[in-house]
Amino acid sequence: MFNRIGIDVGGTYTDAVYITNGQIRHTAKVPTQSENLVETLMNAFDNLKIQDEQEISQITVSTTLVTNAILQNRIPPVKLFLYSGNGMKVDALPWPVNYTELRGEMDYRGREITSPDEEEWQKLNLADLEDDYSHVAIVGKFSHRNSLHEEQLAGYLKEHNPTIRIALGHEWGQSNFYRRSLTTYLNLGVSDLYQQFVQQLQAAVRARNIQAPIFILKADGGSLPLAKIRPIDSIYSGPAASVLAALTQTAPDESSIIVDIGGTTTDIGLALSGVPLLSSKGAQIGEFSTLVRSLAVRSIPVGGDSVVRLNDQGVVLENYRMGSAYCLGGANPTPTDAMRYLQLIDYGDLGLAEEGLYSLLPSEQRTPETLEKLALDIINIVVEKIARAVDSLQREWQEEPAYKVWEVLHPQENKTFRTIVSGGGARGITTALGKRLKTPVQLGAFPEVSNALGAALSKPTFDCTLHLDTYIKQYRVEETGEQGKWTGALRPHREVEGFIEALAQQQAADYGIEVQDMEKEPFDFFPIVQNYQTVGQIVRGSVHVRPGVIGRVQV
Amino acid sequence: MKRTGILFFPAFDWSLGDSHPEREERLLYTQEQLFEEGVLDLPQIKQYSPRVASLKDVLRTQALFPNPEAHTEGLDPHLISAGSSLLLGEAQVKGEIHNGFVMARPPGHHSGATVWGNRGFCSLNNEAILVNYLRAGFGKKKIAIVDTDVHHGDGTQDIFYHDPNVLFISLHQDGRTLYPGSGFVNEKGGFNAWDLTLNIPLPPGTGDEGYHYVLENWVLPRLHAFAPDIIINSAGQDNHFTDPLASMNLTAAGYGRITELLQPDLAVLEGGYSIEGALPYVNLAILLALAGEDYHHVREPQKIKRNTVTLAALKPYIQELKRQQEAAKPSLSFQSKPFFPSGNWIYSPHSVYYDTEGFQETRHDYVRECSDCGGTVYIESRKYTEKSILVRIPFQACASCEQAGYDLWEHLQNSKESFSYGFLQNQLHDSHYVWNRKEGLRKF
Repeated sequence: MFNRIGIDVGGTYTDAVYITNGQIRHTAKVPTQSENLVETLMNAFDNLKIQDEQEISQITVSTTLVTNAILQNRIPPVKLFLYSGNGMKVDALPWPVNYTELRGEMDYRGREITSPDEEEWQKLNLADLEDDYSHVAIVGKFSHRNSLHEEQLAGYLKEHNPTIRIALGHEWGQSNFYRRSLTTYLNLGVSDLYQQFVQQLQAAVRARNIQAPIFILKADGGSLPLAKIRPIDSIYSGPAASVLAALTQTAPDESSIIVDIGGTTTDIGLALSGVPLLSSKGAQIGEFSTLVRSLAVRSIPVGGDSVVRLNDQGVVLENYRMGSAYCLGGANPTPTDAMRYLQLIDYGDLGLAEEGLYSLLPSEQRTPETLEKLALDIINIVVEKIARAVDSLQREWQEEPAYKVWEVLHPQENKTFRTIVSGGGARGITTALGKRLKTPVQLGAFPEVSNALGAALSKPTFDCTLHLDTYIKQYRVEETGEQGKWTGALRPHREVEGFIEALAQQQAADYGIEVQDMEKEPFDFFPIVQNYQTVGQIVRGSVHVRPGVIGRVQV
Repeated sequence: MKRTGILFFPAFDWSLGDSHPEREERLLYTQEQLFEEGVLDLPQIKQYSPRVASLKDVLRTQALFPNPEAHTEGLDPHLISAGSSLLLGEAQVKGEIHNGFVMARPPGHHSGATVWGNRGFCSLNNEAILVNYLRAGFGKKKIAIVDTDVHHGDGTQDIFYHDPNVLFISLHQDGRTLYPGSGFVNEKGGFNAWDLTLNIPLPPGTGDEGYHYVLENWVLPRLHAFAPDIIINSAGQDNHFTDPLASMNLTAAGYGRITELLQPDLAVLEGGYSIEGALPYVNLAILLALAGEDYHHVREPQKIKRNTVTLAALKPYIQELKRQQEAAKPSLSFQSKPFFPSGNWIYSPHSVYYDTEGFQETRHDYVRECSDCGGTVYIESRKYTEKSILVRIPFQACASCEQAGYDLWEHLQNSKESFSYGFLQNQLHDSHYVWNRKEGLRKF
């Protein structure tokens, strides 16, 4: 039994869907008033015609708010301090923000090489921190192995000015100093904006008498309670939601290629045996490379409204749109016109579609035969571009780097895919796409609210990755940045199973979620040897709850 | 953009023994260092995933004695390491990448033309298998291998000793002071490939400055004179001052400079067992140097404690070594078997010790003297009472050496002599056979 609401707060529209046990009760689409989100949300709730607010068990929201703020450069400056140490030159990678480097270095096991220099701290112009910067991010190379230096500087700054907001890099416990720095920076930078959004959301929910817990959709297709999510994790929840929406219309263990065609952009995702494929690298947003776990999605500049031109080589599809399709009153022929002309879709004016396509041809070539060929060519180009992106995603999956002999000897098995196409021109390309991809093609239902639908049926994802060094007697958890003392054996065996289990349960409790069906990765044990003696072990292991949907919808 | 390929295969689930230097932990900290630095985010770096080499790829270069099946167990990690070299080498010659670094375990340069087992941690010779793969499938003719591992690359030397189209240069700590105890200046190649092997044994304590001096004044001129189609660096990292098995004094930045001087098309990791003190830093410096990035900020936390040979002391030593090297003349011994085809057969008996498993291989090598090609090779090899035989028709073989190979092969299959298996390594036509009286002929 579930009664769920999914909401997708986009830049232009806010979509909502109300689902009871696989049945869509009502959907809503209201314009987003960015200056008055509370009212926008209340409007959406009203349109859902909820009869019994108490019945609702969960509201899940996907929002482009944080994404847009970053892409539009609307985040306040954050002062970034780096313990960059030795190694690759810091500026070998492009930094979209300013930083100040400080003395202090750790090694890959979290052992101190050089301690920080308090005299250097005293020379920092801390007056700046009061005036220009109320937000400070401190990130050390290898701080995910030892947070000491970050904590020391944070303590010093707090003493100097208790009001500044400080974020520490080790809270993002994955390796990659560069990405950890930028992720810490961004997460702190968007935190005020996000808090504001949380308040507006809560106000709207309260105003409509809904008691249900509110969850936010993350880039990895999972959801977490409003108060527990790290703001930056909410980026790219739109494409994630559209992948989840497709999964609500497939059999649970099916592998699918998910194609969502928009006006100018087509998003393509992949689900393997019902589980969406995660990107092997963190998300890239604008100029920022982050550690945000996200679904592997390809966005290509092809859509129903892409402008079509003809040159010596033939048909060319531009990366942009200029208004709507010709058959819908626009000024330029587009793939939509080709679909309309071939009567693959039923919206738009047939006469205008023909006129638009004719305008591409020199007058002496304007015959029904050439026109039909032109229309087919346009559709094939769209399909080819989509198919190439699908190929590249499948390669990403099959060519994931392997670091163990076992992995190389047991490569990814080939899977049988089904393709799910949704969005404006979906109907127009099903046949051609199926032929090119050699898979059955299914039209996605509810395209007008697909993101809200995906959000509504999302489930909490959960990862707990342990890195344990029994010689140094330290353990770290990647996802939370927790670092603690290990009091167990130097060469633990069974012990670590219980340990990670307990960590995971604790973490789930902190998130306020229930985790079931945790998937365990086998542990990797690395004996640490000194002078031919085994003196300890490094143990790596993880448990997961993969992204997916909690139910299916009746189409 | 000039791209640099990286194939990182640390074999995290494989070791040669619990506390063996070649163990799971070996590239663990390298992974930590590379990932933390964000090296893979450099726009010019392209990561590749490993593949498994085929037995044909191996048999083109090395004979697996007594037969390939005897090795099946335990060969997988080695096949992946070799396959990784092939994959990245292929990407390089196809122009996908400008250069690349195969950072894979296990290593290979002690593994020779005939293989009875593991020696010096090596079962298959990754670079040699790559070299012949590029010659067989990609039209590469002249290839140079520069081995900068601290140990003499005796396996690689053995494989190409008679090959006039492969220049092999090994710089290493003097064999009188270190495994495998070979690699002296008088080892200059077989008669048909005389002066295409160059060994430079260096005194213990040689540091960055001395090593770079030898590269600039001896190795590079020789390398450039050869004008190879492709340069491969056997990039062992045990010249580092923290290495537990050797006694040299190079630093991580010193390795960066080696890479910058050699400009290899492909670097392939060999040994290096200071897994905490050196590998994370040396691997990083080599990769940065290949990628054209500044490696001078790569600095290992430890300081050099051993004495370094000064350049002033090293220079006269190198001059004397060079004089001896130039003066060395081939010592020839002709001997043939009654069934040998016509021609002069140069005979060299020797033995190979397999330290990992502790046994001796006894070899009798015969090479047909030839001024047109590398010459037909006939090797009888024995481990205890078991004997296997290799017949090799070399790349670019002349007509009479090709015919000599076929004659030998035909004779083997009809002879009364007792031996376990015969191998025909027909590099000329890239077809390779294993034969046994009971099992008959198998083609690879």
